[in-house]
Parts: sequence; C-alpha cells; structure tokens
Amino acid sequence: MAPLTVRQATKSFGSVQVLHGVDVDIEDGEFVVLVGPSGCGKSTLLRLIAGLEDITSGDILIDGKVVSRLHPKDRDIAMVFQSYALYPHMTVAENMGFSLRMRDVGKSEQDRKVREAAGILGLTDLLDRYPRQLSGGQRQRVAMGRAIVRDPKVFLFDEPLSNLDAKLRVQMRAEIRELQKALRTTIVYVTHDQIEAMTMADKIVVMRDGRVEQIGSPLELYDRPANMFVGGFIGSPAMNLLHGRVSEDGRSFTTDDGADIAFSEAVSPAPGRQAVLGLRPEDFTIADGGTPATIRLIEPTGADLLINFDLGGEPITALFHERLALREGETVGLSVPSNKVHFFDPDSGARIE
Amino acid sequence: MVRWQRGLWLFFLPSFGLLAVVLLWPLGYAIYLSFFDYYLGSDARTFIGLGNYADLLSETRLWRSMWTTMLIAFGSVGLEFVVGFALALALYRLHRSAKVFSVLLFLPHIVTPVVAALFLKWMLASNWGFIDATLLTFNIEPQDWLGSPFWAKVSVILADAWVFTPLIMMVLYAALQGLDTSLIEAAQIDGASNWRILRHVIIPSLIPAIIFTISVRLMDVFRFFDIIYVLTGGGPGTATETITMYTYQLGFRMLEVGKASALGVITLVLVAALLLAINRTLNKTYRGGDR
Amino acid sequence: MSVDAVSRRQRDTYLIFIALCVFTFINLTPLIWAVLTSLKDPRDAFTIPPTIIFEPTLEYHYEVWFENDFFRYLKNSLIISLGTVLVSVPAGSLAAYALSRIPRRSAGPILSALFTIRMFPHMLLAIPFFVMGTFLGMIDTYPLLILALVAINQPFTIWLMHGFFLEIPRDLDEAAAIDGCTSWQAFRIVILPLARPGMTVAALFSLLLSYNEFLFALVLTGTTTKTLPVAIASFGGEDISAWSLSAAGAIGIMLPIVLVMLVLQRHLVRGLTAGAVKG
Repeated sequence: MAPLTVRQATKSFGSVQVLHGVDVDIEDGEFVVLVGPSGCGKSTLLRLIAGLEDITSGDILIDGKVVSRLHPKDRDIAMVFQSYALYPHMTVAENMGFSLRMRDVGKSEQDRKVREAAGILGLTDLLDRYPRQLSGGQRQRVAMGRAIVRDPKVFLFDEPLSNLDAKLRVQMRAEIRELQKALRTTIVYVTHDQIEAMTMADKIVVMRDGRVEQIGSPLELYDRPANMFVGGFIGSPAMNLLHGRVSEDGRSFTTDDGADIAFSEAVSPAPGRQAVLGLRPEDFTIADGGTPATIRLIEPTGADLLINFDLGGEPITALFHERLALREGETVGLSVPSNKVHFFDPDSGARIE
Repeated sequence: MVRWQRGLWLFFLPSFGLLAVVLLWPLGYAIYLSFFDYYLGSDARTFIGLGNYADLLSETRLWRSMWTTMLIAFGSVGLEFVVGFALALALYRLHRSAKVFSVLLFLPHIVTPVVAALFLKWMLASNWGFIDATLLTFNIEPQDWLGSPFWAKVSVILADAWVFTPLIMMVLYAALQGLDTSLIEAAQIDGASNWRILRHVIIPSLIPAIIFTISVRLMDVFRFFDIIYVLTGGGPGTATETITMYTYQLGFRMLEVGKASALGVITLVLVAALLLAINRTLNKTYRGGDR
Repeated sequence: MSVDAVSRRQRDTYLIFIALCVFTFINLTPLIWAVLTSLKDPRDAFTIPPTIIFEPTLEYHYEVWFENDFFRYLKNSLIISLGTVLVSVPAGSLAAYALSRIPRRSAGPILSALFTIRMFPHMLLAIPFFVMGTFLGMIDTYPLLILALVAINQPFTIWLMHGFFLEIPRDLDEAAAIDGCTSWQAFRIVILPLARPGMTVAALFSLLLSYNEFLFALVLTGTTTKTLPVAIASFGGEDISAWSLSAAGAIGIMLPIVLVMLVLQRHLVRGLTAGAVKG
C-alpha cells in the first residue's frame, strides 16, 4: 500500500499521441477509478503505471520513488486483466502462488498465503482445479487472488468485470469494494462504465482524448461537473443539455428554440450571457407554475418512471420516483430547483459558477 | 520495442547466428566462387569475373536445360493444381469418408521421394515393369517410358505430380474447410449453378491459398532433384536434364564448382523473377477483377 | 430445395465417392506393386502377365536389413534426423517466439526475409557446403550434414512456430512480467508449456524433412554416414535381379513414416497448411 503519483505523463505511439500530460495524485489506500469513453487513454495510462508500455515523457512515482524506467516486476504492483490472463497449464493454487514462486518465497509460506487469499475469496475448494474448469466469476476471483497474494503496493484493474454477465457484475462490484475496505490497498481501476465508477470509487478520474477532464469524488463529479463533458458522461440517464441564454435578471433561461424555463430564484452566474443549461433528469418536479412541456413517451421501469418531454422543441428526459398518473400527449408544468441547475460555457464547455 | 521486452532481441541470437553461419556465409561463398574458374581437385583457381556467367549463357546445354525445367515445372504444377483442386472439391463434398480418402491419397507425398521414385521406376521399367508387363499380356507393344526423350519427360512430369498433387489437395482442402459456408448456401438459394458458385464464390476466397501453393510448388520444382536423379538421371541423353540436374553434373560430377555456383546464382535469379511475376498476375486478376 | 434436387445431390455424392475410390486405387498402384514385389521370389517378379497370386516370402526383408548394412544406414538416418531436430527446433522456437512478440513493423520484414530464404535453390547451398566440407575434412561426418539440414530447415521451423506463438495471448506474457518473470522466465515457465503442440509439429516436420532429404545426404556423406535414401538409391535400381531386395528396402524405409503419419495426421495437415490458409 502506497501513494501513487502520475506527473505530466505523455504517451505517443509513433506519431499518434494518446496521452497529453496527465497528472493524477493517488493517496495511500485510495480506490481510484479511471473512466471515460473508449479510446480516451485510460487503459494506456494504466499500462504506463504497470510498466507494460514505456512512458514518452513525464514520471510515475510509487511510494515516492520514480519507477518510470523499471521493469514491471520491479514496481511492486499487481494487475487484474480484462481477460484474467490465468496460466492455463497451472492449477488455481499454482496461478495464485506464481508471483511468490518467482520471488523465491518458501514453499510453506507460499502455501499459507495462497490458502489465506483463497479463504478470503471463497476459492478454497477450487485450488486444485485448472482455469478451464472454472466459471467466469470463479476465474475473475482467481485473477484477484493472484493479485492479493502478493500484497503489492498498488493494485491495477483493467476492466475486470466486462466479461461477466450483468448480475454477476453487480455482485463482484460489491465484493471488490469490500475487499478493498478490508485490505486497505491502493487501487487503480479502469472502466468505461460510469455506474461502476460511481459505485466503487473514492476518487474518479474522468478522461477524454488523452486528457484528464476532472478528478473528484463521485458526488463532487455528480454535483459539480467541471465541464459539459463530465456533466453528460456521469449520471444515468444522462444530463439534459440545452443551448440558450440566461435572462438579465437571472431568473429564467431562453433556449435557442425559444422555450422559456423559469427558475424559482435568481441563479447567480453570469446573467444575460449565452450558456448551456444542464439539468439532471431526476431534479425535475411537476408543478403548476413550471415550464410547460408535452409528454412524448412514458417508460415505467417499475421502480422509476422515465418520461421524455418536448419542451419548446427540445427533447428532455426526466426521471420520477413516484408513480404519476400521466398520459402521453399531455402537457404539464416542469420545474427545477434553482440550486440544482448547471451552467456551462458554450464554447469551452467549462462550468460557469 | 517496449523497455521490458528488450531482452527478446537476445532470443534471435541462436537462430540468426546459425543462419548466418550455415546459410548466409555459404551463399556468399558460392557467389564468390562463381567468379572463379575453379576445378575442385586442382589447387589453382583463377579469377575470371563474369566469365562463368558469359560461358553458361552462351551454351546451348544451359538453354536446353532451362527449357526442360520450364516444361516440367509448368507441366507438373499445372497438372497437380487441376487434379489437386478437383480432389479437394471432391473431399469437401464428401464429408464423412473424406478422412479415410485424405489419408490414402496423401501417402505418396509422405513417402521418401527417393523411395517414391523407385516405386514409379518399377512401374515404368521396360519389359518387367508393371505397366509393360500388363500391356504385353494383352500383346500391346509398350512405349519406352524412361528411354525415349518424349516419354521420359512425360514420366518425370507424372512422377512429380504423383508425389506433389496430394500436397496441393491437402492445402486447398484445408482452405475449403475454412470457407464461410453461408456464402455458398446464399449462392445456392439465389439459384447459382455449381460452376458459377465455384467461379465466383469458392475460387475468389481461396486466392491466398492458391497463390501460396502455386508459389511454393514452383520454388520446389526448381530444386526438383531426387526423383529425376533416380528415375532418369537426366537422360536419355539430356532429355530430362533440368537446371538443377545440370548444376549437379557440373558441380559434383565434373567438379567445376565455379561454373556450377554461377549456374546456381542464375537459378536463384530466375526463381525470384518467376515468383514475383506470378504473385503480381494472380493478385491483379483476382483482387482487381472480382471486387 | 426440391425433392428432385436433393436426390440428384445424393446421386452426385455417390458418383464422386465411386470416382474417388477408383482414383485412389490407381494412385496407390505403385505402392501396392512395390509391396508385392518385396514379397516375391524373383521367379514371380519377372513374369508376363504380372503375378498377383504367389507364395509370399519375407526372405528379402530379412536379407536387406540383416545382410546388407541397412541397420547402419538407419542408425545414420536417425542420428542425423534427431540431430537436426535438436538444433533446429530449440533455436527456431526462440526466434519464433521473439518474432511473435516484437512489433509488427519489425516482424514483417524478418518474416518476408525468411520466406525468401526458403526459395533458395538447394543446389546453390550444396556446392559451397561440399567445397568447404572438403577443405575442412568434414565430408562424411554427421555434423556437416546436420548443419546443412538445419540451414534448409530453420526458416520453415521459425515460420511454422511463429504461427503457434501468435495464438498464445500476449496477456500471459504481461501477467508473467508483472508476476516477476524476466523474458526468459516467462518464455520457459509460462509460454513454452503452452507451445508444446506447436513444437511437436515443428519437430515432426524437421524429422521428416531430414529423414527424407536426398541431395545433401548424397553429396556430403560417404561410406560411414550414408543415410537410408542414399543407400536405397544406389542399391540395385538398375539391376533387375535385385528388385525384390531393393523393394524390401524401400518398403522398410517407408514404414516408419507411414506409422508416424497415421498417428499424427492432424498435426501434419496443420503444419502443411500453415501460412496457406491463414495467410
């Protein structure tokens, strides 16, 4: 367990630059999730930390020591691969104990540690099996066991759950989280699934096109997205983004299509300017004095009600937790508490405070 | 290469070291020898520059052997390809019994070439060979299969075909099995005739395999040696003397190693040019025409 | 498809089956004839019409092996074949593994170069080997022929093994590196056990090629290291009175190969088609 620092990391493959000066600080025992759309450079960043790719410029420090030029084996890290990368010709026990064997740990010590890890992961009965005899979830656990056994400074996870079915994924999500709490290890976890990021992370690093868009706790990212991209990426269903202008008194917003959205109180940032208004689907309430909107489509999920509105020509998605007696085609008033609105600069995308 | 994998370059050392010593060095030496008038057995070797090449290229024996090589090469590869492809299609069509047939048909290829040539010799030998003995039974006067210039060439072509058709059959059969059957089924549903399916669906998707087999076979046929050596020894006279046989005669019978080396280099150039041309044409005809 | 078309298809399949039977039989006639000849007494061997029914004798099989030095030639063949495999396959595997792990832009030219080397006329190699062997006094020794066979074998071995190593996921190398392996350890402990089927195929091909090889064996061996193919070629091909004897020898040379083939047929096909089907 140790802190990890990525300092001004860049990476180019030939003439293609995939990381443009990334800075990330990870504290001891922190669970950090790297998230972003595919091709954003998150996996590359993970592989740079692991030492599987050479850093083009910048530095990686583990426990205060520069490791950028070290062989992966000398960085004291463990990694769980998307494919699990279990050795097919070794049993579960041999797979888990392999890193200890390579580090000349004594046979009895190896055995003890493997059993201990197997106990934690519920693999004790499977120690003599071969990977091909295991289910997907069991393989996933062995891959984690292989990492745990070592007690390394940093754990790296590369989309470890993407090969599991939805139900198992939810279960493993919780297990990994619990494990991390129990072992108090530093984890860097890559995923493209923002729900995974939100539910597991202490700290999320949102990346796009080889740059860090925002770093923060899940709720910080959710409540105060630093820019339009993060606003749109975090949260499901996605944030509604409307282009338009804030009124001079700051009490309403006129969309480019001419619809007026009134706020209960004056919103502070930049009255009178062009902006993009961000509204989370779950922040809407239905109120008589609200902005009139026509119901396009109602999708009940059982727990929630997802409604697509037409608000002055703009499609709007809203999520309600109560069962409302509404019909498609009906027009109702929508309102949003003024402390739940987000404004972004239409050109730079940056948040306007 | 990525830093942690740099050690991999060392993995090349044993193999490439070996190749340098046992392949590149001898080759270089052969090219070097080709510039000398050198009779192995006498100590004297005289540098004569391109003399060997000039000598060879003005010889009728060389041109005749080249012509023979071409004739045998194209004759046998053409025959092998047609028969091999037909066999592969037949096997593909059979499914269940295909395995037994493929093993039996493959036997002639796996047998030591020298032994295969002997087998054929006992078939073709005059009078007591199986063919002659059979023909004579019915009072048919047989040809001199290995003794007449014309039939000797035919025999050599057939012998090569006997040994190498199975190879082509096997490669094409494997390629056929890798074919996407939905393409063929779709064509059948569209009502395409078998011939059209063959021409427009099967052949185009086999192009890589076809280029591979034909190129490899043509390369091989230029070093075709064992079978001719056993069957006719290049005879009668020089009727079946290919470039390779001629090189053998020069180098190992007359011990004119300088001249023989020069002939080897000429062969190399010829093979390279031929392969290049084949690749170009096949690529152009199919990749361009059927897109 | 209509019922008519289905039955026509069945009839076609039937016809193909018959045609293949006939072709296979004709194709194997030389082999069958040789087997019969090897079991015949000369008085049955030289007859018109050819004798099909006769009293078989194993006398010539016995004679060729026990009174004609064929066991010595077999020993030479085995030493040379195994020697070639033991040099060629380990070296080739190492190179093939590295080739499968380095970036494509570096591997491509090396593979093309190897493919080009494969087409060199063997004669062009046999001459310098003969000349150098003469100078070094190495003609008629095992190492010289083994080296020559390695030379013509190595590019193919690398090419073949390369395909097998490509099928082993790189993730395993990376996992091994993180688990603490150097490249050599990763190869030896993780990759090599998984490449065993590929090595079997490569070894089998090297073995076959060296066992069957004729040209180099002819010019580089003498009385002490003569291999089976050279022996049989010089053994009464002309003299018809020795037909039964040499047929027995030829069949003897053929048998081990046929056995190997029957056992390892699947691997054989895979090796032959490597590079052809997947390109």
